[in-house]
Amino acid sequence: MNRREALRALAATAAMSAAEATFPGVLFRGGGGASTAGAQTPPAEAGVVWRKTPCRFCGVGCGLLVGISNGRAVAVKGDPTSPVNLGLGCVKGYHSVMALYGKDRLTQALVRKDGKLTPVPMKEALDLVAAKMAETIKAHGKDAVAMYGSGQWTIPDGYVASKLMKGAIGTNNLEANARLCMASAVTGFMTSFGLDEPMGCYEDIDHADVFVLWGNNMAEMHPVLFSRLLERRLKNPEVKIIDLATRWTRTSMAADRSILFKPQTDLAIANAICHEILRNDWVNAAFVRNHVSFHEGKTNIGYGLEDKFAFKDEPKTITLERYRELLAEYAVEKVEALSGVPARELRYLASLYADPKKKVMSFWCMGFNQHTRGTWINNLIYNIHLLVGKIATPGNSPFSLTGQPSACGTVREVGTLTHRLPHGDVTDEKARKQAAEIWQVPLERIAPKPTYHTVEMFRALDRGDIRFMWIQVTNPMVTMPKLRRYRDALKKDDRFIVVSDVYPTPTTDVADVVLPAAMWIEREGMWGNSERRTQHFDKMLTPPGEAMSDAWQMIEVARRMGFEKLFPWTEANHIPEIWREYSRFQAGPEHEMASYDELRRRPGVLWPFVNGKETKWRYNGQYDPAAKGPFDFYGKPDRRAWIWFRPYEAPPEMPDAQYPFWLNTGRVVEHWHSGSLTRRVPVLHNAVPAAYVELHPADARKLGIANGQRVRLTTRRGGLVLPAQIDGRARPPEGQVFVPFFDEGYLINELTLDAFCPISGQPDYKKCAVKVERA
Amino acid sequence: MSVNRSRLFLIGLAVLLMAAVVVVVGQSLVADREPARVLPVAEATPTLPSEAGMYARAARAVDYAAMPTEPNRKRTLAAFYARRASLGAPPVIPHPVEERDASGKTCLACHGDGGWVPRFEAYTPVTPHPELTSCRQCHVPLAGSESGMRGSTSTGQITQPPALRGGVMPGSPPPIPHGLEMRENCRACHAGPGAVDALRTTHPERVSCRQCHALGAPPAAAFARPPEGGAR
Amino acid sequence: MPIKSYLAYPVRGQRDALTAALRRLGGCDVSCEVLPAENRDLLVVVTDTPDEATEAALQEALVRVPALEGLALVAVVGEGEVEAAGRFTAGVPEETGHESA
Repeated sequence: MNRREALRALAATAAMSAAEATFPGVLFRGGGGASTAGAQTPPAEAGVVWRKTPCRFCGVGCGLLVGISNGRAVAVKGDPTSPVNLGLGCVKGYHSVMALYGKDRLTQALVRKDGKLTPVPMKEALDLVAAKMAETIKAHGKDAVAMYGSGQWTIPDGYVASKLMKGAIGTNNLEANARLCMASAVTGFMTSFGLDEPMGCYEDIDHADVFVLWGNNMAEMHPVLFSRLLERRLKNPEVKIIDLATRWTRTSMAADRSILFKPQTDLAIANAICHEILRNDWVNAAFVRNHVSFHEGKTNIGYGLEDKFAFKDEPKTITLERYRELLAEYAVEKVEALSGVPARELRYLASLYADPKKKVMSFWCMGFNQHTRGTWINNLIYNIHLLVGKIATPGNSPFSLTGQPSACGTVREVGTLTHRLPHGDVTDEKARKQAAEIWQVPLERIAPKPTYHTVEMFRALDRGDIRFMWIQVTNPMVTMPKLRRYRDALKKDDRFIVVSDVYPTPTTDVADVVLPAAMWIEREGMWGNSERRTQHFDKMLTPPGEAMSDAWQMIEVARRMGFEKLFPWTEANHIPEIWREYSRFQAGPEHEMASYDELRRRPGVLWPFVNGKETKWRYNGQYDPAAKGPFDFYGKPDRRAWIWFRPYEAPPEMPDAQYPFWLNTGRVVEHWHSGSLTRRVPVLHNAVPAAYVELHPADARKLGIANGQRVRLTTRRGGLVLPAQIDGRARPPEGQVFVPFFDEGYLINELTLDAFCPISGQPDYKKCAVKVERA
Repeated sequence: MSVNRSRLFLIGLAVLLMAAVVVVVGQSLVADREPARVLPVAEATPTLPSEAGMYARAARAVDYAAMPTEPNRKRTLAAFYARRASLGAPPVIPHPVEERDASGKTCLACHGDGGWVPRFEAYTPVTPHPELTSCRQCHVPLAGSESGMRGSTSTGQITQPPALRGGVMPGSPPPIPHGLEMRENCRACHAGPGAVDALRTTHPERVSCRQCHALGAPPAAAFARPPEGGAR
Repeated sequence: MPIKSYLAYPVRGQRDALTAALRRLGGCDVSCEVLPAENRDLLVVVTDTPDEATEAALQEALVRVPALEGLALVAVVGEGEVEAAGRFTAGVPEETGHESA
């Protein structure tokens, strides 16, 4: 073929690609297929096989189709058959497969010898890990070893971890990074309903008239779901989107109304709305009388700043009258002064929630969860919905959004947390008996007492109560709050750190052993998203070098430690076998999971999956086979939803004369978490190449700072110099600064505080006091 | 008597007015004495542009989606580039305009919302920045454009127009190859009948553009891990 | 002179008429390759002309075809020469970043 013909073929290929983009599945016969001038870009349809998978990134759980050609992932499009995203993606999703091919991908096991990480055969590394783990248990007891996993673990990964740590070794030192993102949502669910995870589903979006977004930048963090809100509004102009936030963002720009409040005062605002609902007699009396009970707990509950901080709540059942009394100090005029939100706006919000003609959906994520009173604020949003009876019906939906692709599916459902088993809590003898039976281990093996949540676990490592930690699919050396203490801890002598990951990170930098992991579609797995949808993906690619899936790494180590009976599966069949075994834990109409074959066929399946039907709305007798009667909150012993009175309490560290600004941290749409994946995708890296600090223009003027100028941030824990960004994509109010945490070159968590919600253990990354100066 | 009183009133008013003048001028003089703030020159770090305009005119999206994609024969890509001296430069006005500048009122009548212009047999391009109303400050008519619209006025060549191609993989959403200053409202140029065919989006009803389209310009240095020792 | 590829959309119901009309375009100097899609009313058209004049004539002829509803230019593959009406680079996706202004 001469050059001209080759160029023509190239042009034809480009046209066919463009056609593909608009009409997925379009086929062209003959012409242009066989040859191309560019070796890297195979023709649009010849030789490209499209396979379904959930997206690698956020908790929306979009269905994607990945194009595989010649053993390489070469294209991505949205799966039009997925009810989650209906064919749409976001910039991370569309470029997700490029994260598989970064130049410095880990392909070999590394062991630290004479201070330097040296390549060794994988077999040798696994031998060392098993030996070290056994040695530590022998010398210091089973609670001297720990595992720290992830909401990006697949369900089989989490199940193997749980069985290894709790069933084989017999320790509850198993935690995951979802503690840092969703723990307060979980304790919110457990205290309000007795069972975890939302009662509604994404389909609520298609029915709601009002969307209230509380403290979450949904346009950037759950972008595809936000686009569903925008589409709903486009087709129904009466629909309203209200953005309630501490900072003005892209979401505020798109919303119908943007309301800013002072940090932490969300507690007061929610109570003010409840107060207003009671004052105007807007309560759904029948619903409350039949399906709600009232409670209060301890106040002044602390912030977890000291090691071994312990908290136990003292719940008391109260009456509606007592609840009304307790709410008296949250009249809208008083809350206006505290929160900065005008009374008029508070009344407006209350009227939206109370309007019997409007279906209301509330969304929240890190603003509520990464909060020193995270459990409380989760309770409070449910209080609002419960008082007006707007819950568990299509369109009426308090919806807790999840951050990671499988914080729900793995960490929460499989229970890779210190106090959990795949079904129930370790403190519950019935749950331990079930685990002992399914795992075929003696009942005494399963420890009945939880040990540490994540922050306490790293503190235990610092003190030396834990000597061995295996970290998988997460980057705590970027993401732990008050980072310096925990980095120093991992670097101590006599602490053996094993890290399984796909790229070198600040966490692999301090490891003793680094195990290369297979990523995403390089191994088979399942993930569970925010709306209780479990999604399966096949192994589509060969992992590079000696990279191995997390589950198989753990199985290999377990066998070396003598636990082969508990992990008898072959590489070929271990995923379906694990799924079958795990599903036994969740049997019953409250949590039944779909079969392996069903998951392979469908673009995900909602649980409970009972008699071939998904339960879209739980606790509602019309949709939920486990519910008896029109509403049945069967998670609680009184079969009612619990309204908890929770007061406003200030955060542990607020701006003062020495540190006069609030420091807020978070993400941008282009980058995922600590950036270890997305910064290796050229398109995403190029869009946002480095971190910065957002300042309000008035503050910038006072400090003499121009856009792009270097700014010094100092807290009581550390300092950092960053370039300023003024009036970029978001604007903090005066007296507040915001820094994204994706850039390992700017470790903003050296400045944050490791205070946490005493009930959930989840740290607050959104509030501490900082000094801001020109550098 | 009444004459005296009215005279007194007028004198009083004059005194009051003079006092007011003294106060106002005095205040502005005092204000002028404050030292001018000299902001330091920013270092060249890449900054992210504002996005205030991305969602503007979203309500039109449904209309645009319903419109047939008739090829816009006059507004070709070549003509589009020919009207700009360089990328990001304000395009010249290719049709006759009156000498007297009545910018804010007259230009936006057509360029605010677009529409079909029978005289030129063309759809009007929509401005991405309607809030800037001193149009002739930047947009000038080209000499010799009195006789109807010029398809290709020579302003000099555009150097390196952005390559029009798909994203980095087949079917990927193309990154944004141009800066966004004053062009935050994507729909103005990429949707509707006034858009250049080669630039028109297939999906104007998706209004959260930057959810999928990453900012591609200016190009950044490739990612590299920080040297041992980490943060700055 | 450059090679261009388009997506051509027929007027509803006139896909075959459009395919035939496009195939008849131009003369012996013009290469006009038409690839109809099997399962959609959509055609890929690839044109290749020897000089500017023929290109201009072809453009005129293209937009005059009655069965043509719309035409979208996808890619222009040139020989790297400077052209008066604007310069384009190859329209094929690459893995690296790209130039800008």
